Amino acid sequence: MSRQNWYPQANLARREMLRGGAALGAVGALSACSAGKVASAGPAPRRPYLTPMRVTPDQLIDMKCCIRPVRAAGPNLGTQMIGDTLVVHNYGHGGSGWSLSWGSAEVAVGKALSVLPSEIAVVGCGIIGLTTAVVAQRAGLKVTIYTRDVIQRTRSFRAHGSFTPDSRVALSAPAGAGFGDLWEQMTRLSWKGFRSMLGLPGDPVVFQDAYALSDAPPVKKHHDADPAIKGAWEPGGLPLQESEWAHFMDRIKDLVPDPVMLPTAENPFPVAYTRRSSEMHFNFPSYAHHLLTEFYQHGGLMVMRDFNDPSQYGQLKEKVVINATGYAARDLWRDKTVFPVRGQTGWLVPQHDAPYSLRYKNASLMAKNDGIVVMNNPIDLGEMFGVGDSMELADPAPILEVMKIVEPIMAGMKGIA
Amino acid sequence: MKRISKLTLAGALTLAAVPAYAAGTANGVYTEAQAAEGAAVFAERCAMCHGKQAEGTWEVPALKGKFMGNWGRESLAALSDYLARAMPQFAPGTLEPKDNGRLVAYLLKINGHPAGAKPLPEDHAALAAIRIDPLAATAVK
Repeated sequence: MSRQNWYPQANLARREMLRGGAALGAVGALSACSAGKVASAGPAPRRPYLTPMRVTPDQLIDMKCCIRPVRAAGPNLGTQMIGDTLVVHNYGHGGSGWSLSWGSAEVAVGKALSVLPSEIAVVGCGIIGLTTAVVAQRAGLKVTIYTRDVIQRTRSFRAHGSFTPDSRVALSAPAGAGFGDLWEQMTRLSWKGFRSMLGLPGDPVVFQDAYALSDAPPVKKHHDADPAIKGAWEPGGLPLQESEWAHFMDRIKDLVPDPVMLPTAENPFPVAYTRRSSEMHFNFPSYAHHLLTEFYQHGGLMVMRDFNDPSQYGQLKEKVVINATGYAARDLWRDKTVFPVRGQTGWLVPQHDAPYSLRYKNASLMAKNDGIVVMNNPIDLGEMFGVGDSMELADPAPILEVMKIVEPIMAGMKGIA
Repeated sequence: MKRISKLTLAGALTLAAVPAYAAGTANGVYTEAQAAEGAAVFAERCAMCHGKQAEGTWEVPALKGKFMGNWGRESLAALSDYLARAMPQFAPGTLEPKDNGRLVAYLLKINGHPAGAKPLPEDHAALAAIRIDPLAATAVK
């Protein structure tokens, strides 16, 4: 992603210097002046130069919808025997599949390694399956992926694709006290995995500035239980309110940069309050390309096939199989503890001169290599939005609605002070 | 069937090339008490690098899971010698011989190998005769 417009003043100064002696003389004169006067006033406030995003309806080039595979107790990393075949599960990561992919793969592959196989099978080729396959290869195993779709056509490719490792990952009570430690282990390992992909060609992983805009002073969101709502999640059911969801981000405060409120003079947006933070996200096309390239370079084999019944795992020639089937596990493994949480995204024409993310009211926009991803996340509903909804057809209306909210924000953006 | 007999033949040749093992870790070669003592040693001498749950990090090897990939089919003497020689990395060679054995017991336990009635032997030749077995598929949790 091009960042050449990020510091236009620095670029200007560089251009001035390149003009030669006369310009250098001028810079010298400025320095002399600043020593006496400008420096005492401190650095002049400066708005970051941001190009407004184009958010008119004609820019909407794609809609995607997917179902987050949530398990109340957190991802299934358990094992079971199908005949003489050891199946290690690795599915049910909710809204955290991308974010936990490396750590979760490490746990599953570790279990597979304990019987000292020379080859294993992985079923499924979403982000969990493909990452698991690569992690197994890095541990020296020969790997065959059995899948009905390659990653580009899986639900993983219809996600939002940002680092949100505790997004709808589990409900506190059924996950139990021990899950936090496992979550932290998987998250920290994944973080290192993503760090190892920063700066690769095609920017599979990117850090970028994210702006949270509000008209009133921002308040930290609490997840207090609503006493009017009686009962809670029961096996096979759904959470009843937001306070049931588990949150763990406090455990990795040391990794994630702190957000800062922008002083008014540095706020480029026509709202009273703007908070800037750093977000990390994944560019699906290049990320998939890197993983697939590594998989094939290690001699990986991809077999296109579907499964209708767990007994078919026992018929594979590999006697250790890692099951990474995501939401499909609900039907294939008859795991009714998996429940759907629907999410949909709109995609605007990629705009490489506007590399930032923005949230305002229910609107969320994030510039990625393959487009600006737009979501409509009702603030009132929080993590309950989409719970129990397995309708996987996209509906552009809510996306167009938030684009309309953001349009005047983009029109009112200020340049450099 | 043909394939199985080939494998058996290959196994026999391998066995001929290396010393035969008298026992394997599947048979219960340490006691629960040894492993519990090993857990205390681990917490003090190992956990700061390998993690409280021996989970490892991106840089430091996990001592379960991948551990079996590294040490499976080796002898307990090889593992014990390595600990004595190379660990902890910041002060190699400083583990007491008794603690070394306790750590081996603890590592076997957290990797799913069963405890037994007899403690781990202390002499080198006896440890060299015990193989770190692959787990039975049904034992993987």
